[in-house]
Amino acid sequence: MEPLLGQPLAPEGIDGYHGPHPVGRYAAALREKLRTFAGVCLIGEVSGARLGRGPNVYFELRDPDGAVPCAMWRDEFDRLGLRADDFRDGIEVVAAGSCDYYVGGPSASPRFTFRVRDLRLAGEGDLLARLDRLRRQLAAEGLFEPQKRLRLPALPRTIGVVTAEGSAARRDFLAGLARRSWQGTIVWAYAPVQDRRAAPAIGAAIRELAALGDVEAIVVTRGGGSIADLWAFCDETLCRTVALLPVPVISAVGHEVDRTLIDDVACVCCSTPTHAAEAAVGIDCAHALARVTAVATRMDAAARAALVARARTLAAHSRAPREHVAGHRRDLHQQTRELRAATRRGIASRADSQRRIGSTVISRKLEAARADADARRAALRALAGRLERAGELGAESRAKALRAQGAALEAHDPERALERGYALALDTGGEPLAGAAAVREAGDFELRMAGGSVPARVREESEP
Amino acid sequence: MSARPATYESAVGRLEEIIARLDSGQAGLRETLELCREGKTLIEYAAGELEAVGQGLEELRLDELIARLEAQGPTTE
Repeated sequence: MEPLLGQPLAPEGIDGYHGPHPVGRYAAALREKLRTFAGVCLIGEVSGARLGRGPNVYFELRDPDGAVPCAMWRDEFDRLGLRADDFRDGIEVVAAGSCDYYVGGPSASPRFTFRVRDLRLAGEGDLLARLDRLRRQLAAEGLFEPQKRLRLPALPRTIGVVTAEGSAARRDFLAGLARRSWQGTIVWAYAPVQDRRAAPAIGAAIRELAALGDVEAIVVTRGGGSIADLWAFCDETLCRTVALLPVPVISAVGHEVDRTLIDDVACVCCSTPTHAAEAAVGIDCAHALARVTAVATRMDAAARAALVARARTLAAHSRAPREHVAGHRRDLHQQTRELRAATRRGIASRADSQRRIGSTVISRKLEAARADADARRAALRALAGRLERAGELGAESRAKALRAQGAALEAHDPERALERGYALALDTGGEPLAGAAAVREAGDFELRMAGGSVPARVREESEP
Repeated sequence: MSARPATYESAVGRLEEIIARLDSGQAGLRETLELCREGKTLIEYAAGELEAVGQGLEELRLDELIARLEAQGPTTE
């Protein structure tokens, strides 16, 4: 807008108020004024924390009565060494700083802020931060390891327990031991477990229990509570005592979510007193006794079984030759039976075969014989016929020859000659006399002629 | 013959080994008898340890114990 008289006209104000002032100048004046306010510490819960990556970390501090927007330069926040988990909504912090005002700009909104220059966690958060620092320190010193290297006996005869007299932890611990059926010796070291006397008393009790010599494990236990309630168990001196103790320590402080420093240095960390009892006595004694009894029985059985097995083996070995021979004998008998049966089968088979063959041969021979007999019979008959015919012919022939011979013979018969007039001289004996000399010699002789014989005598009267 | 076991757990551990060996059926007669002899010793030890914590819970107070020890005075040699 163009000023009417070459210079800007001062706008009219409002009665009763200064100005009007340009707002930017007023904002700057306001920032300067606010910055003159004294630095203070505020305590409240963090809300709306925005860590981001910009040059500022923003959050609000609240309590039931109000809130203040806060900002902290990134580098100053980082120097606090807080982890993201430490700085979260709901935690209580103490913030040191002073008022500031961002005047804004053409495109940035103005904003009042409490510029935080330093900050620490308050209450539990503070304790946790201190605990974290102490934990890192002891860890760096290697004090978490010595107890871990100790051997926790599975079946201690004597257990030392540090706890509050009449506490629920004591009752729970006893219940845990009962579940293990453990009935050894407990040395109770009662000590305060919460106030400022607690840490030194607990430390002294632990040392004295360890000094007894018979105590094989020490349990330190109490029920749950806030970190402030459990703070005695984060005591540096106590934790160093535990870390270097030659007797294993079982810690069971608070509940499962609580973790005190003694849990880190102890040999074993348990969530409850009951669990601590089960850690202190690693076995169920009743079950173990039954198991040992069963093992003893089993061992006896194994030894007996081994002996019996060996005896059986030996007996088997001693029987072996006899059984071997018996076996052979059985085999032999069997083979003999089979042989006999086979022989019978063979003989029968052969006999049958031979019978079949014989029958065939015989029948064939019979037929041949019959045929031969028939042939012979026919031949015989033919021969007989021939013989008969030959006989007939022979008889006739012989009769004829006979007749011829008879005729011839008859022709030579002396009788025939006698009939024709010849005479036969016979000696007295009837023998023929063949010549005249025989007749002379005989002197007397007989003349046989047809019709009869005539005695005759030689007469020698005239010699020629 | 093995030495007396150092702890209950070592005794039980060795017993488990022995049982496993016996169950394998690979041990000969002599080894079986030796294992059983060793096992018997271990069993006696383990049973003794269990018996020691099975006779009834004994509860002592550290302060009373210390007082008693202090009353007895230092032991003289």
